[in-house]
Amino acid sequence: MVVAAQYYLLLAAAVFCIGLFGVLTRRNALVFLMSVELMLNAANINFVAFSHQYGNLTGQTFSLFVMALAAAEVAVGIGIILVLYRNFKDIDVTKATTMRW
Amino acid sequence: MAALDLTPVIPLLPFASFLIALLVGHFYPRALPKGGAVPGILATGVALFLAAWTAVAVSGGETLNETVYTWVAADSFELTFGVLVDPLSSMMLVIVTLVAFLVHIFSLGYMNDEGETGLPRYYAGLGLFSASMLAFVIADNLLMAFMFFELVGLCSYLLIGFWFREEGPPSAAKKAFLVTRFGDYFFLIGVVAVFATFGTAKFVGTEESPGFPVLAEHALTGSAEHVHTFLGMAPEAWFGVVGMLILGGVIGKSAQFPLHTWLPDAMEGPTPVSALIHAATMVAAGVYLVARIYGFYALNPTLLAIIAFIGGFTALFAATMGVVKKEIKQVLAYSTISQYGYIMLGLGAGGYVAGTFHLLTHAFFKALLFLGAGSVIIAMHHNENMWDMGGLKEKMPVTYYTFLSGSLALAGIVPFAGFWSKDEVLYEALVHGLGGMEAGYEGALLLGAYAMGLLAVFFTGFYTFRMVLLTFHGEPRSETARNPHGVGWNVKFPLVVLGILAATVGFVNMVPVAELTGMEIEFLHKWLDGPIHVTQAHYYGELLHDVAHIQAAEVSSLVAGAVSLALALAGAGLALALYRGPAPEEHTEKLGSLKTVLYNNYYQDEYQVWLAEGLTMPLARLADKFDQGIVDGVVNGVSTVSKASGRRVRKVQSGFVTNYVAAAAFGLVVLIIAAGVFGGWLL
Repeated sequence: MVVAAQYYLLLAAAVFCIGLFGVLTRRNALVFLMSVELMLNAANINFVAFSHQYGNLTGQTFSLFVMALAAAEVAVGIGIILVLYRNFKDIDVTKATTMRW
Repeated sequence: MAALDLTPVIPLLPFASFLIALLVGHFYPRALPKGGAVPGILATGVALFLAAWTAVAVSGGETLNETVYTWVAADSFELTFGVLVDPLSSMMLVIVTLVAFLVHIFSLGYMNDEGETGLPRYYAGLGLFSASMLAFVIADNLLMAFMFFELVGLCSYLLIGFWFREEGPPSAAKKAFLVTRFGDYFFLIGVVAVFATFGTAKFVGTEESPGFPVLAEHALTGSAEHVHTFLGMAPEAWFGVVGMLILGGVIGKSAQFPLHTWLPDAMEGPTPVSALIHAATMVAAGVYLVARIYGFYALNPTLLAIIAFIGGFTALFAATMGVVKKEIKQVLAYSTISQYGYIMLGLGAGGYVAGTFHLLTHAFFKALLFLGAGSVIIAMHHNENMWDMGGLKEKMPVTYYTFLSGSLALAGIVPFAGFWSKDEVLYEALVHGLGGMEAGYEGALLLGAYAMGLLAVFFTGFYTFRMVLLTFHGEPRSETARNPHGVGWNVKFPLVVLGILAATVGFVNMVPVAELTGMEIEFLHKWLDGPIHVTQAHYYGELLHDVAHIQAAEVSSLVAGAVSLALALAGAGLALALYRGPAPEEHTEKLGSLKTVLYNNYYQDEYQVWLAEGLTMPLARLADKFDQGIVDGVVNGVSTVSKASGRRVRKVQSGFVTNYVAAAAFGLVVLIIAAGVFGGWLL
């Protein structure tokens, strides 16, 4: 059974919008990280879908890179969140405003 | 070791004594014998010895003209320190070191014995003062001369304001500093102008690259390709401008009209300092500069006539003010202004030797008179009013006879030193004035200056003997005058040395006697015809004749001498007639309103204060308003606008990650829509 490419694209767009919505509405830094993961994986879906569509492996290779990048991002992100918690006793991103004007 | 190798050391010796007095006096005052006087005396004593040795070597035909240190070496010019030792500078070295040496000794009596405090500061000042003047004297270029000229001014400021806790001295020091600085400002521009015009400021230079007076001569007699003139002027006119600029510094330092007002106020300083300022350092620096670059001034008859006229006018102007003064030092102050007027008159009238000669004799008799006045002031417990003195002749014979010797020299009575030099100055003014009449207005200016100088001789004789009679003769007019304070050897020794010199130093150049007897006894003329061709008196005479076209008329120096001697005697005789007797009256009261004008110095101070407060202050205020309002206003306006807009715009940086992401997403959407609309695939 072959699924047409536009369905993959719709799925990816939906996942990306969910991620963007999470970043725009939530205040918890951990949820932020998860939402960013969602957006990255939406891009992955696109890569794999087009790879499948055109029959070459470049897109799948790229999606591997994106996963590695996502892992690194989580590592750095968790570190930042830890420090955030230590300094503000909270991981609400709106509380960390001491450097603001 | 040759003497001239040691000449550069001469200024360093007093400088060392300055450092010793300053540093030891500050960190360990107990180790400083006599508050710094001993190092000072030693330094100036050795300097005197070296200066005398230098003079002997110079008379043997040796000279020194070398660059010691180059501190800026650009492509087109060099700024250097150098040493120039020729007859003029070696003579001045002897004068300065001798007077400085005697002033140091006298200070033992005037400062140490009177229990003054702050002596290390005083002796440090004296040391630096002597050192800067000596360095000025041996300078080989105009810029170096200017630097030490300024240092001399600074030292006089420090020393005049020595008693800074009283009211008068600090203000007098400030006045001396500011008034001379006003003149020095022109001098500074003149130095720059010399560099810009000639590319060098050397006085003598070498065969290949001569100094600027020689370059100026070449420009006037031959080709003008090596000089750059400005403002579209011909070399002659431009050299006149440069000469006038340098003359500004001379007028300020040598206290010539109209910048003479600082000098009488400078009497607020300690009396030995006055002696040093008036005889050998500060005031002498101005006229010495004219003599030093005489090769430049001798090229321009108009400049010479202006110098002579300023000198003659100042001589008369100051002498009339000296007639009515009450304080002994005030009389001497005005006599100094007047005598430096004579030196300027001599130099301006083309009498290089005459002016230099008067500089020499005046240095000795004026130092003598100031030290004598200092001795009187010690005796009178620092009361300077001559109307409280009288009858000091019997109480202090050494001071009296030496002071009399100086007074006779000042008044120009034969055979004391001042007669010979003043007579020669007037003689030169007369012959060149008469000779210049055919050439044009310069001759008339010179003759006018001569007439004023001659008239001033009468006043000089009068005020000098008024001073002597009021101070030493008659009955004592106060309790302190009846029981004066005694003075020690350290006061008498300098007085005796200078007293003998004031009586005899004129014999080095007895022009009228030489004419009368046919003997060749004009030693100073021969001395100043030294080994360096371009600083010879003879060479200056040629310049005067060939380039400036000022001729000398044939007049017997005997007649000129007799006229001035008769006037001096008349002045002295009038003083004798009016002020002799046990209780002289205040005859100057009879002058009425004229006395008030004279006593207030022709309201010179008032008009200068008005110039400062009535004219310069509003101008400065206006400039300040422009600066504060418009210049600063533009700058402040720019910063206010950017500050205000910055305060608004920074709100964008909310610190919430969400806002940034929203902005980025919104931007992305806008970009996509724009790309879609302009790319044609959307709508």
